[in-house]
Amino acid sequence: MTTPAETLLIVEDEAQIRKFVRISLEAQGYQVLEARLGEEGLATCLASPPHLVILDLGLPDLDGMDFIRRLRAWSTLPILVLSVRASETEKIQALDAGANDYVTKPFGIGELMARIRVLLRKEERRATPSAQFSFPGLRVDLARREVEVDGTAVSLSRKEFALLSLLVASQGQVLTHDRILREVWGAGHQEDTHYLRVLVGNLRQKLGDDPMRPRFILTVQGVGYRLAV
Amino acid sequence: MPLVSGRHPLRRLVPYLFALVVVAITVASAFLLPWLFPHASRSLLFLTGVLVVAARSSLGPSLLASFLSFLAFNYFFTEPVHTFKVADDGDVTTLAFFLLVSAISGNLASRMRQEMAERRASLERLSQLYAFSRRLASAVGADEVLDALTDQLALLPGSPPGAIRIFLLATGEVPPGISPPREVRRRGDERALAPAEVQAVWKRRSPEPVHLGLWLFLPLSTDRGAIGLVALADIQDAERRESARNLCDQAAVALDRTRLVTDLAGARLAAETEQLRAALLSSVSHDLRTPLAAIIGSATSLLEYGEAFSAADRRDLLTTVANEAQHLDRHIQNLLDMTRLGQGTLQLKRDWVDLRDLIAGALARLTEVLAGLAVEVRISPEVPLLWVHGTLIEQALVNLLDNAAKFSPAGGRIAIQAERDGQEVVIDLRDQGPGIPEAERERIFDMFYSVSRGDRANRTGSGLGLAICRGMIAAHGGQILALPGEAGWGTCMRLSLPLVNAEITPPPEGTP
Repeated sequence: MTTPAETLLIVEDEAQIRKFVRISLEAQGYQVLEARLGEEGLATCLASPPHLVILDLGLPDLDGMDFIRRLRAWSTLPILVLSVRASETEKIQALDAGANDYVTKPFGIGELMARIRVLLRKEERRATPSAQFSFPGLRVDLARREVEVDGTAVSLSRKEFALLSLLVASQGQVLTHDRILREVWGAGHQEDTHYLRVLVGNLRQKLGDDPMRPRFILTVQGVGYRLAV
Repeated sequence: MPLVSGRHPLRRLVPYLFALVVVAITVASAFLLPWLFPHASRSLLFLTGVLVVAARSSLGPSLLASFLSFLAFNYFFTEPVHTFKVADDGDVTTLAFFLLVSAISGNLASRMRQEMAERRASLERLSQLYAFSRRLASAVGADEVLDALTDQLALLPGSPPGAIRIFLLATGEVPPGISPPREVRRRGDERALAPAEVQAVWKRRSPEPVHLGLWLFLPLSTDRGAIGLVALADIQDAERRESARNLCDQAAVALDRTRLVTDLAGARLAAETEQLRAALLSSVSHDLRTPLAAIIGSATSLLEYGEAFSAADRRDLLTTVANEAQHLDRHIQNLLDMTRLGQGTLQLKRDWVDLRDLIAGALARLTEVLAGLAVEVRISPEVPLLWVHGTLIEQALVNLLDNAAKFSPAGGRIAIQAERDGQEVVIDLRDQGPGIPEAERERIFDMFYSVSRGDRANRTGSGLGLAICRGMIAAHGGQILALPGEAGWGTCMRLSLPLVNAEITPPPEGTP
């Protein structure tokens, strides 16, 4: 089901982690490039650009944030960050610096694969843009501003729809509070997370989404939200 | 009251004035006497006056009184009247008696009064000393001792010192006495006392008082050597020096005692910390090894005999590896959290959080642990958004749920209920486990208790979980209690969080 030609670069200094990620990715039909150091990784990105970069934030030679900024200076290729659990701040910083998503170490391979698939699918989407999105139980037409849950049309307010389109367009990529607040309310509302909580609550209610077992909108504690895909 | 006391020069004249007045009254009475008591002797009346003066004053005024009495007696009452001539030998004798009586009684009276004054002063000194030693005995810290000493020195009988400085070595300095004592008390005027002088006296280590310029230096010495120095200005005479020295010696003993108490408390704390560290270490290594044993065992089994196993068995073993590794991860998270709590470096990053998200997050993280248990969640719609550090509260919920799951019987029910109660949110977490004996309900949150108990048989883990829970909830100003479950069965963990900022009701959607 995956495109065999897709190449992934993993920048990680831990050989054990590189190994199991490579084995699993190759089993899924991806081609895998490896880099132990940040500079190596950047060089590889230049020499033979991959479709996606898996980046460990704790590299011996280069700060993870610097890696992201330097890569973002000339490339938009998706970056998936591997970070240790302790710091939410670190994750948010990485996302703000231009990373597309993150996986917390230690992680299960299933989670990593899911994130990779989301990012690659999104890349694919960018090539052939469309205003229609379909997920199990949820259909959204951005152009017509139509939303259907399990085949039933749902009417959303302007802000609810703005939030849903943002989530839908990111296709399962995590969205930070900051970014949602900026895009839905505009600049200067970065502190108003309570607006966001209430809006998410309302949207979930209209979508018939149980906050205890959400089908559509997942909370990423301390970071933001993502669409369940 | 003694008429002799008082420092003002004019006040010294008061007794003499008194003598004059008494003699004047005597003369007046002597004129009236023949009408009242015809047979009484005038000379006895004058003698009484002299005695009154002698009893109330000292030698001088009584001599004056006797001399004046004689003159008045002679002038007004002896023949020839209104002259100072003495016609009769008896009158000369009277004069001699007057002088003699006044000398003896005046002397006696003044000595008696002086003795009384001295006795009163010494009584006062004694009671002051008594109060001082009582203050020292009840002092729990060096500060109180130093205060008492300063107060007492300022009350030194005679004239108090113009300035008091106390220097003391820092406590717990090892090796002791390397650095000079620091000034810890200062009273009286601000005259200069060069640190070099203090240093010089200190280096001499004299057990005796040392005079240096205007200053008198007294050592504060104990059995373990000198611990400080007292400097007093304007104390030159031996008597006051000795009193001051006495006070300093008493204070030094008291200081020594308070230091011993401090040292003891320190030693006990160190021992307890050491004990806790040992218990923690053993518990932690146990908790880390238990899942590791399962992981290593399963992984090596698969490596060695994997091909011989059925697909189901292989999958089973691999599931063990994955689950135990996650178990290990939770332990490590607990250790990290505990370190942050213990170091006090935990910083709350408060934000608006939906309690449902926190509970959902905790349940999601414990999917494997909670498999086979029925979890019921009821959250009252009254519960507002919480202004908390979401991940910490989620971690606390994870620990509570993890704990509840450990004690739940197979197929047991765990109920989570959240309600608003005035200015706080109360979250109850009920399980159907064996419950907690009343005596232990408070102690299970005590890290040292749960760790040292180390209830391995029930696989309760390190017991850090609950201590961390309480720490995280306490950091938010909330509290957590273990209560008996419904109908005497199981446990109800009650977590209450104050609603900070609750008055800021989030606006309805889309207002701004």
